[in-house]
Amino acid sequence: MSFFEIVAQLSDSMLRSTWIFLLTLIFSMPLGLLICVARMYAWKPVQWLMKFYISVVRGTPLMLQLLVIYFGKYFLFGLPLTTNYRFWAVIIAFSLNYAAYFAEIFRSGIQSIPVGQHEAAKILGYSRMQKFLRIITPQMIKRVLPAVTNESITLVKDTSLAFAISYIELFTETQMIAASETSMLPYLAAAIFYYVFNLVVAGLMSLLEKKLNYYKI
Amino acid sequence: MNYLEVEHLQKHFGEVQVLKDISFSVKPGEVLSIIGPSGSGKSTLLRCCTFLETLSSGKISYMGQEAVQAKDGKRPVYAPKAEFRKIQHYFGLVFQNFNLFPHYSVLRNITEAPRLILKKSRTEAEKTAMELLKKVGLADKAKAYPCELSGGQQQRVAIVRALAMSPSILFFDEPTSALDPELTGEILEVIRLLAEDHMTMVIVTHEMSFARAISNRIIFMADGYIVEEGTPEQIFERPAQERTRQFLAHYQ
Repeated sequence: MSFFEIVAQLSDSMLRSTWIFLLTLIFSMPLGLLICVARMYAWKPVQWLMKFYISVVRGTPLMLQLLVIYFGKYFLFGLPLTTNYRFWAVIIAFSLNYAAYFAEIFRSGIQSIPVGQHEAAKILGYSRMQKFLRIITPQMIKRVLPAVTNESITLVKDTSLAFAISYIELFTETQMIAASETSMLPYLAAAIFYYVFNLVVAGLMSLLEKKLNYYKI
Repeated sequence: MNYLEVEHLQKHFGEVQVLKDISFSVKPGEVLSIIGPSGSGKSTLLRCCTFLETLSSGKISYMGQEAVQAKDGKRPVYAPKAEFRKIQHYFGLVFQNFNLFPHYSVLRNITEAPRLILKKSRTEAEKTAMELLKKVGLADKAKAYPCELSGGQQQRVAIVRALAMSPSILFFDEPTSALDPELTGEILEVIRLLAEDHMTMVIVTHEMSFARAISNRIIFMADGYIVEEGTPEQIFERPAQERTRQFLAHYQ
């Protein structure tokens, strides 16, 4: 197979990897913000629960979490493991995992905002919710962008962990073609894909950073 | 009726007692300056009056309505929620370091709270904002962002932002302390204009000559007490207390 044939054959799985990336981001960021807010402001026992959650998720391998989510469906609930579920197990495991990291990134952003911003909003009569949504969160987003870029780039590469449950995304299929063709070219194609993907991610994020440069903190 | 009434206010931070039995009141139209050495509790007093700090004991009322009361060691009791929100609209506060919202333009800094909280229309809020900005000489900066302004300009915007909520009392917490000396004049000029319009103001300041020129009444604080209180002439020309004389001697 020529290099281009390999790329063509890999294109479906590239798309699957892209979907894992996009869906994980879409689910994990709002979930992360929710966890962050609960971790900071909720009723004390909920705060402890969130701390514990973050600690467990950060303290164990993502691959192990993925296996638990996938096989847990059968071992814990006795439900059959369908091929279709592989994809959703990946999305659930990745979202739950990345949400924990995003929660901590958002927390660092919120805590870096000067107390004067909270006080000014309070004096002007903003409710806690109005203050959080209008004053704190927008400034937090600007502050956490570089860290979010880092996480996103890691996520692009982590999509390859779906290999562990044989979900056929780019990495899994690359392995398969490399084995059947006894060639290094599939690896090269995959490496180029991940690298270009990350270039795009980094480029988009730096564009966003520039867009938010209209004000300084 | 007094706009503000503070009775036997005490404030502890852990073991340290910062305010020890403070009582004073503010009448309509009055300009009251609070002076005193650093660490005397002036700023803490202002922060208690604006509910940024809780009180350890004492009582604060606005417009004759009790806002908060605390008895030794117990949690302070605030007025019912709806009433308390109303009370919060009676005052505004200008901070030492401005605390403008950096992600908003000057105009949005000023108009968001009136629109959001006072439910004013956009046109109405912007009209008021532009009038006030013109008054402080910043009409051309409406579209600018805080980071594009000098400290003095930022503080003038902060004053306008507070005024846009039409407070009955405006508190100033050392409004010129974060500014370069050559920029303090423009802030003092704005406060002077407000005094001419009979805006009720409570000003914590280290600008003695300004306090003397602008105030109807001066409170001198030291070590958590009000040491002396009187007209600018009484305090600056014939202070009754030795502690006041000592303090003012630094400014001669």
